[in-house]
Amino acid sequence: MKDDELREFDGLDLDKEIAAPSHMKQRWHDSIDLAAQREHTEQRRPAKPFNVMSFFWGAAVTAALAVGIGIGVILSGGPAAIESNDYVVRDASAGNSDGSGAFARVFQAHLRDTQEDIASMPISTAEDRTTLVLKIVQQNRIFEQAAEHNDADNLARVLRAFEPILLQLAASDIAPEDADALREQLAFELKIMLTKLERNASKNTQST
Amino acid sequence: MHTRFKLIFIALAVIAAGTVTAQSNDPAQDKEELQMMALEALMASPSERALPALVKLLDGNGSDELKESALFVLGQIDHPDASARLLAYAYDSSGEMQLEAIRMIGMNGDEAALAGLPDLYTTGNENVREAVLEAYLISGNTEGVFNIAMNATDEDDYEDAVEILGAMDAHEELSRLREEKGISDALITALIISNNDVELRKLAMDSSDIELQAEAIEALGIVGGPDTDAALADIYTNSDNEDIKEAALTGLLIGDYDETMLGLYRSSSSIDEKKDILEMLVIMDSELAMEVIDAALAGDQ
Repeated sequence: MKDDELREFDGLDLDKEIAAPSHMKQRWHDSIDLAAQREHTEQRRPAKPFNVMSFFWGAAVTAALAVGIGIGVILSGGPAAIESNDYVVRDASAGNSDGSGAFARVFQAHLRDTQEDIASMPISTAEDRTTLVLKIVQQNRIFEQAAEHNDADNLARVLRAFEPILLQLAASDIAPEDADALREQLAFELKIMLTKLERNASKNTQST
Repeated sequence: MHTRFKLIFIALAVIAAGTVTAQSNDPAQDKEELQMMALEALMASPSERALPALVKLLDGNGSDELKESALFVLGQIDHPDASARLLAYAYDSSGEMQLEAIRMIGMNGDEAALAGLPDLYTTGNENVREAVLEAYLISGNTEGVFNIAMNATDEDDYEDAVEILGAMDAHEELSRLREEKGISDALITALIISNNDVELRKLAMDSSDIELQAEAIEALGIVGGPDTDAALADIYTNSDNEDIKEAALTGLLIGDYDETMLGLYRSSSSIDEKKDILEMLVIMDSELAMEVIDAALAGDQ
């Protein structure tokens, strides 16, 4: 294993008093961090706007964060994991995905909350920003699953499309000006989405 | 009447955005802000009215940031021409604009535009290929990613596609890939990402490639699942291969199955095996290790 791959573990708070055999360490590294190795491979490539594997790492980090903030929803689970989610609207007629219906209204409320979070986001302190953004990613994933359960694929796509930007914003090594630009982009996109949903809801109200 | 006033306002804003001069200390910023306002207002207007204004803006001399924002609005317009335009920008533009257009195709989810992505993937550079995979991920199109993986001639491209399938929890496609392309590191990674213990168990029992089998066994420890500890213990007990036995122990260690590990310790009659297992229990910081140590010190097996 290469030194740079082994350095992946330097930041981990491992108990240094436990000395595992070196060959065993090597095997763990190989197995546990297969995906991390992919990350290294990605880093060798020229600058890219977003690493798709960060979806996976975002999932891992936010899953850990979920425990901390007590969300209590197992993201990796199947339908059963989302079964008790309040955002799932059972009545299909109430789940119109075009901006009307109960689920769409809850979805709009979520986007508005996100909008407020983004607007008040601490840009200067990377740690606070990362925590807040990962919390948003976590909530987005819950709503994404809820959207899929409510046959609102278009809304699920919206949340998935926000995630690459959010994960870039969550990066601890991002320059403040870049973070500010991403925050502005998100604020704009959220505003557009809310306008669209409100317009559709308004259209439906007028037509009924 | 209300709509008409709104449209007049939008039209004026777009026109003003193109002609505004010294309104403050930074005219360029004023212009950009006004254009952004106009873009937001366009979203509230009917698609057939918004589309020409957006196209004009996208074909104009505005900044990249403004055009990327315009692409986002274009992606939200419910009109077939909007999707066609997005695809055209994905093909004809370059850099961030091109990547944003591809992202919008994924977000928009229009089937006709998505159908244009395979060619874009084939002809595009590395960034474009990655953006196409991301667009498929956003749109939830597992078949598109599967086809890329199946047709991949480059190992990195194959790995990227397979891992995206893992992120999409595309169990069926991953199973088909195993049948078509065989087991690989990338496939095991994807199964870890998608938490697919069922498929990993099959790989953990497949002894056609010992190295990959060992990886699958350890991956099973990462993913866990019902009775995974028992499956790992069976693999350990029934295998004569040292690498496989070690992988099974590592899987138990990763999964923190110390009680199962203790069971193996007690059932083993080999001193070497007991030594390996005890070492693992110590590494796990398991309280059960003390039981074993006490028993060993007392001379019990």
